[in-house]
Amino acid sequence: MKNHIQEEAPDASEAPPFLQSWNQLYALVLILHALVIFLFYWFTHAYA
Amino acid sequence: MHWIDWLIMAGTLGGIVLYGVYHTRNVSNVQSYLLGDRDLRWWTIGLSVMATQASAITFLSTPGQAYESGMGFAQFYFGLPLAMVFLSIFVLPVYYRLKVYTAYEYLEGRFDLKTRTLTAILFLIQRGLAAGITIYAPAIVLSTILEWHLNLTILAIGVLVIFYTVLGGTKAVSVTQKQQMIVILLGMFIAAILVVDKLPEGVGFTDALGIAGKLDKLNVVDFTFDPSNRYTFWSGLLGGVFLFMSYFGTDQSQVQRYLSGRSLSESRLGLLFNGIIKVPMQFLILFVGILVYVFFLFVQPPVHFNSANLAIVKSQPATAEQLAALEMRYDTVFSEKREATRQLVTQMRNENEAGITQSVASIQSLQQADNVIREEVKQLINTASDGKAKQRDTDYVFITYVIEYLPIGLVGLILAVIFSAAMSSTSSELNALATTSVIDIYKRSVKKDATDEHYLKASRILTIVWGGIALFFALYADLFENLIQAVNMIGSVLYGSILGIFMVAFFQKKVGGNAVFIAALIAQTIVSILFVLDQKEIFPIGYLWLNPIGCLLVMVLAQGIQMGMKKEVA
Repeated sequence: MKNHIQEEAPDASEAPPFLQSWNQLYALVLILHALVIFLFYWFTHAYA
Repeated sequence: MHWIDWLIMAGTLGGIVLYGVYHTRNVSNVQSYLLGDRDLRWWTIGLSVMATQASAITFLSTPGQAYESGMGFAQFYFGLPLAMVFLSIFVLPVYYRLKVYTAYEYLEGRFDLKTRTLTAILFLIQRGLAAGITIYAPAIVLSTILEWHLNLTILAIGVLVIFYTVLGGTKAVSVTQKQQMIVILLGMFIAAILVVDKLPEGVGFTDALGIAGKLDKLNVVDFTFDPSNRYTFWSGLLGGVFLFMSYFGTDQSQVQRYLSGRSLSESRLGLLFNGIIKVPMQFLILFVGILVYVFFLFVQPPVHFNSANLAIVKSQPATAEQLAALEMRYDTVFSEKREATRQLVTQMRNENEAGITQSVASIQSLQQADNVIREEVKQLINTASDGKAKQRDTDYVFITYVIEYLPIGLVGLILAVIFSAAMSSTSSELNALATTSVIDIYKRSVKKDATDEHYLKASRILTIVWGGIALFFALYADLFENLIQAVNMIGSVLYGSILGIFMVAFFQKKVGGNAVFIAALIAQTIVSILFVLDQKEIFPIGYLWLNPIGCLLVMVLAQGIQMGMKKEVA
């Protein structure tokens, strides 16, 4: 049986066009998402 | 509808189709047809992925849902950005390394042919029927509003989609989706601005927000942990992440969108772009519904939003008389509600808390009276139509507002948005169905060593065949009401187990095909039982939770079965 996870490890050689690494880009997406949820939370309470 | 609206709608839709046909006129081999030469940039992939997910009914139903229940539905998408990151890290590199055409191809290398074929067939059944509903559901609403014959509306959507999808394949789907998504985003943004503009004199944007907030319509986030509550922060984040990992990672209609990227980086960026934009976009669509709700507190809406249902009631003297009486009561209640809403605006400006509380109570009480009248009208519709007419009218709220109150030109644009959404999701479905049929079934198990030209021709023929099946199902869908419910049920029940199969493939390296096959069957049975118990209200559980349950059951059971099999051999 093939060990796909090890064989098909993410291509780390190609950097993203923004930021320095893919991990930073993933973190940015998650931080933006957390910010959006926080804004929604604020929105919910600000007008309740 | 004004001729300018017709011109804008037809021009927008025709222009997009011609653009797609022109840009894909040189498609001449099967890779180009099914994977679009793998040359798409990330923004095209991102918009294409979004357009595939956003069907026309999204733009008809979502504002109506906000109108009725508030903004809580936004939480449904909270797991999506996490799923995009997960897929970018673990799944895309595998698909790219193996250069697969379909997600199911991967399963044969990892397990065996039977698992690949079974998963592909499950996809074909579910998506094949769903493609018909993707056309049928918005066609009912659009045909009522435009006063077109239902079959003509279905054919107008279906034939156009089949035409450009057959000619240009996956590239035609992606390039038209880019244009369609731009029209959709632009149209909804302008609609949001104009709803605010249409509020009565003296009522501003902040007043509208205040009114909606005081009436509990801006409840976007709910942190309570209640499994029976359909949309909470937890069900959206935890249940949603499993649902979206399954949908974007294993459903060929989505996988095909990002497999046509120029490189792994472009595909990753496309998915991450979707992860950033999708939640705010859904918020915007829901917010339009909220603004329409506030608008209809000042401007009287019809007692029932589906005009075709009202026409049925009016066509019979007995029910027409009762309807007239109900409408008189409705007029009175609305006048009082409008006055109470104006009072609320005044009290909010004066920051008079006692006055605000009193006004809110008054509006809510009148809203209840309003709901009672609307329910009575639905009973009349039921009586007049011998139980045949659908009484739910939330899908008609936004489109009624568009047709009745938006200026000439914008009506055509919003209709183009809805038709574009119907076409974009249908084209992805047909393209994915043809690809899976050719790659996973025909080329793998029927005719293995034919020429490229042969498979290209087969892909085109199968796109027409699936388009024909979708059209047939859409044209005769009213005869298959139970089947429609079954298709919707299959969609929400199957995803967890399918994701479980892929998760085992990716992360449980020692588990083989037989163990995962048995585990998937057991898990699917348990999930189906839970679903039935929920439907019968014996054990209420929000359907988003079925996704993690199904996925985790497959993973745990597969591991256990594999260990049991090893012991047996030893």
